[in-house]
Amino acid sequence: MSVEEVVKEIVTRVVRRPAAEFAGQTTFKDMGADSLDIVQILSAIEDKYDIELDDEDMVDVKDMAGFVAYIERKISENGN
Amino acid sequence: MSFKGKVALVTGGSRGVGKAISAKLADGGADVIINYFRKKSTAQETAREIEKKGVRVHLIKANLAEADKIDGMFVEIEKEFGRLDILINNAASGVARPALELDDRGWDWTMNVNAKAVLLCSQHAVKLMKDGGKIVNISSLGSRMVMPVYTAVGVSKAALEALTRYLAIEFAPLGICVNGISASAVLTEALKIYAEAQGLGDSVYQSTPAGRMVAPEDIADVVAFLCSQQSYMIRGQIIIIDGGYSVSPSHTNNAK
Ligand SMILES: NC(=O)c1ccc[n+]([C@@H]2O[C@H](COP(=O)([O-])OP(=O)(O)OC[C@H]3O[C@@H](n4cnc5c(N)ncnc54)[C@H](OP(=O)(O)O)[C@@H]3O)[C@@H](O)[C@H]2O)c1
Repeated sequence: MSVEEVVKEIVTRVVRRPAAEFAGQTTFKDMGADSLDIVQILSAIEDKYDIELDDEDMVDVKDMAGFVAYIERKISENGN
Repeated sequence: MSFKGKVALVTGGSRGVGKAISAKLADGGADVIINYFRKKSTAQETAREIEKKGVRVHLIKANLAEADKIDGMFVEIEKEFGRLDILINNAASGVARPALELDDRGWDWTMNVNAKAVLLCSQHAVKLMKDGGKIVNISSLGSRMVMPVYTAVGVSKAALEALTRYLAIEFAPLGICVNGISASAVLTEALKIYAEAQGLGDSVYQSTPAGRMVAPEDIADVVAFLCSQQSYMIRGQIIIIDGGYSVSPSHTNNAK
C-alpha cells in the first residue's frame, strides 16, 4: 500500500467517515477530527512506520495532501 | 531497598513521575520495562540514563487505551523476561474539559487509559508473577477533590482507587500486594497543561504546609517502599503524598 492509501485508511477509520470523503484538499476539520482523533491517527501511523511524529508539526499541515507529504518526509528522514 | 533479580514494568515510565519510579527501582537493582505511548526519543533517552545504573532496560511502545496493544506488550514481556515481579500502573492521559463539554469518546479514552488498562495490565501481570509480586497504582487528589476541567481524569482515578482495593483482596492469596499512592500537583509536563490554565501550581505551593511542591522523587520513594517486603502488611491502601495539602485546606505558606 502507498503511504497515501495507508493514511487514508487510518484517518477514515479513526474519524469513522467513508473513504470517499478523503481527498487532497480535505482538511482535518472537514473530516470532523478533534484533537483526540488526531492523537489516535498520529499514533497509528507511528506504529505502522516505526517513526516519531511531533504534534507541533501539525500546525503546518493544511490538508490531507499536506499530511501525506509530511508523513512521506518523516519516513524518508527515518530511513536515512 | 534491594530489588535485585526482580523485573518491573512501569507504564508511562519514560518521563515525569514514571521516570523517577523507573530510576528508583533500577537503583535497587531491578530490571525495568518502560512502556510509553508516542515520545520515542524521550523514552530512548530515559532508557540510556537508567541503563547506566547497571540494569537491563527494555522499552515497549503501546497505547494502553487499546486492549490488543496491552496483550501485545505482555506477549513481549513474557518472551523477553518470562516473568514479572513488580507492576506500576502509572501511565495516564485524559481530556481536560468541564463536565458539560465532555463527549463519550473523551470520556472513554480517559477511562480506558487510566482505569481499564489498570485492570487489564494487572490481569496479565498476575500470570507472570510466579513468586508473588507487587502492584502499585498511581492516583491523584482529583479522585476525591474537585479541580477545574479535571472531571474525566478525577473520575477515572476514583475508579483506579476502588479497583486497587478489589485487586488487593483478590490477589492476596496469590502473594501479590496491591496498593496505590495519590499525590497533589507534581511538577511534570502533565501539570503544565492544567496548571497554566488554572494558576494551579502557585496555589498548590501556597497551600502546602510542607513548604514545597511534591517532586517525582517523593512519589518514587513511597512506591519503592510499597514494592519492598517492609510494606507486606499494607494492602489495598492509597497513600497520600501531598505535604499536608489535603488535610489543611486553609493553610497559607509564608515561606518564600
Ligand atoms: N503531574 C501531576 O501533577 C500529578 C499529580 C498527581 C498524580 N499524578 C499521576 O502520576 C502519573 C504520571 O503523571 P506524569 O505527570 O508523570 O505524566 P506525564 O509527564 O504526562 O507522562 C505520562 C506518561 O504516560 C505515558 N502515556 C500517556 N498516554 C499513554 C497511553 N495512552 N498509553 C501508554 N502510555 C501513555 C506517556 O508516554 P509518552 O510520553 O510517550 O506520550 C508518559 O510516559 C499519572 O498517573 C498521573 O495521574 C500526576
